[in-house]
Amino acid sequence: MSDRQEKMRQSAEKLLRDGEVGYVIGWGATRFCDRTTPVFIDSPEGAASLVWNEHAVNSLAKYLLDDKYPDKKIGLFARGCESRAVNRMIKDNQVKRESLYLIGVPCDGKSSDRCRLCRERNPLVYDVLLWEPEANAAPADRFERVRGVEAMSPDERYRYWGGVYDRCIRCYACRNACPVCSCRECYVDMGRTGFQGKQHSRSDNQIFGVTRAFHVGDRCIECGECERACPMGLPIMGQTQKMLKEINELSGEYECGLDADSDSFLGRFDLDDKDEFM
Amino acid sequence: MELKKDRLLEALALLREGSDVALPLPADDGGEPAFRLWDGVQEPFLGSNTSLPPKELLFPRSEGMYGYNLKTGELSDILPEARTAVFGIRPCDVKSIENLDHAFLEKGYVDSYYRARRDGLTTIALGCSEAARTCFCDSMGVAPGDAPGADLMMNDLGDAYSVKANTEKGEAVAKLWEGLLSKGGAKAPAAPACGFSVKADDSLPDRLTARFDDPMWDSLSKACIGCGCCSFICPTCYCFDIGRENRGACGTAFRCWDSCMFSDYSRMAGGHNPRPSKKERLRNRYLHKLAYFSQRYGATLCVGCGRCIDKCPANLDITRVMDMMEGVDANG
Repeated sequence: MSDRQEKMRQSAEKLLRDGEVGYVIGWGATRFCDRTTPVFIDSPEGAASLVWNEHAVNSLAKYLLDDKYPDKKIGLFARGCESRAVNRMIKDNQVKRESLYLIGVPCDGKSSDRCRLCRERNPLVYDVLLWEPEANAAPADRFERVRGVEAMSPDERYRYWGGVYDRCIRCYACRNACPVCSCRECYVDMGRTGFQGKQHSRSDNQIFGVTRAFHVGDRCIECGECERACPMGLPIMGQTQKMLKEINELSGEYECGLDADSDSFLGRFDLDDKDEFM
Repeated sequence: MELKKDRLLEALALLREGSDVALPLPADDGGEPAFRLWDGVQEPFLGSNTSLPPKELLFPRSEGMYGYNLKTGELSDILPEARTAVFGIRPCDVKSIENLDHAFLEKGYVDSYYRARRDGLTTIALGCSEAARTCFCDSMGVAPGDAPGADLMMNDLGDAYSVKANTEKGEAVAKLWEGLLSKGGAKAPAAPACGFSVKADDSLPDRLTARFDDPMWDSLSKACIGCGCCSFICPTCYCFDIGRENRGACGTAFRCWDSCMFSDYSRMAGGHNPRPSKKERLRNRYLHKLAYFSQRYGATLCVGCGRCIDKCPANLDITRVMDMMEGVDANG
């Protein structure tokens, strides 16, 4: 572990010393040894504060949206989940590959529940790989939870999601942690548009939940950041996964962020579409 | 006086005859521990503090303010008639209510909705016998074992709770419980040490505001994801927005929780936003907690409950700014 941490520090230090990148996004220490926080290292000396351990759980890719047009490349430590996010963000025209220096760090498994469904520990895109790829652990059944909800009766299902959205505090941590939630201005921040009531009620909370799920459902890389970020522990990735399951059933194997060329399912457009209404 | 632990539910049932009773209750169905109205049966959750603060009892997530009819022009008041006794509230959260009192009841304006709920609220505090690692209340002027602002103060004595009335409301509860109380409970146990301590003395507000343009705000805010989690789980964050919900010609004006961490919070007519990025928003929130409120009301708005440290998705820590200010004076 510490050997890998050392490699990461050396790599970041060299990139910064050579002027290859403006800064490096990684993980750093907090007051508690079992928690890390994202850090933005902009000097070679600062690289010594980088941390790599089982508690480096936060996905770092979302921070790229804070700096879409950097003067110099951004160095980003990339595991499987960061790389899939980057692929999706490149295809969605959110970031440019040439603005990034991806430091590949195959993931050895982290302490977060969000990693439960991880299917890809190794970065799928990188500029340098700091150590040998890891064997992918057999992930939990991808759609097990979705099937559980599908098996409910409509009344049970309404009670289930109603209960979830009674507890939602509308902090939007799910939206803000999601690497593919990339609108420049979110519809909930637009003020009184009439689409979304600001009051905290079951129905307005549900409208937010449904809109969020539909908006990112066909681009969801299943990183689980929405659920990890949720302070109320709500099972909200089940919604985007429901969308993915439907897409899988409609059009075959579908997974997001495996490359930077694939259209999102709802972003596809075909002149020969056999649906007449098109 | 003391109340044997095995009589606690009886005591709460007595309270429930005259008012609603709110308790810290465990996560229901996978949620988070929170203060909720008691059904008369559930066991209270007393192992640690709740993830959600008790502020909802006084300042609900959403509340109606008045109704209107656009055809007739009629207006109707909606004033809450809440009578609630809350048991198991911790000293940090009692302090947070004192802070809400400053904000909603002082400086020339009395918020009638808050006033009505506050008048109907009886606080029965429970001193902490164990501190969480995120607790730092004793650095913020709160004693984890004592809440002088509570109506009734209780402490865990092992097989009983000590019971001490601080106010008339508290004495009324003690009288109600007369048959259940026994002699004893004179000596409260030693309060636990907090998880960690920070330096937050009287000069902190001025030292912080003098650093308004300091580059430290850039570094502090970089990892922030800009959600409202910290505001909503904070026991003292009290900002709200006002909106209207129409049903045909009739409607209700409501207010609901809002957060200064959101972009639309500070957006002005015409679209200008004086706090355009998370740097300005985070700075505002920290300064409100640690400086502005103190300068206006003479009390620190952060009570050291540690909820924001525990729940921040990016593991930001408000006490880092206090650490950074150590040894820094207002002039330099």
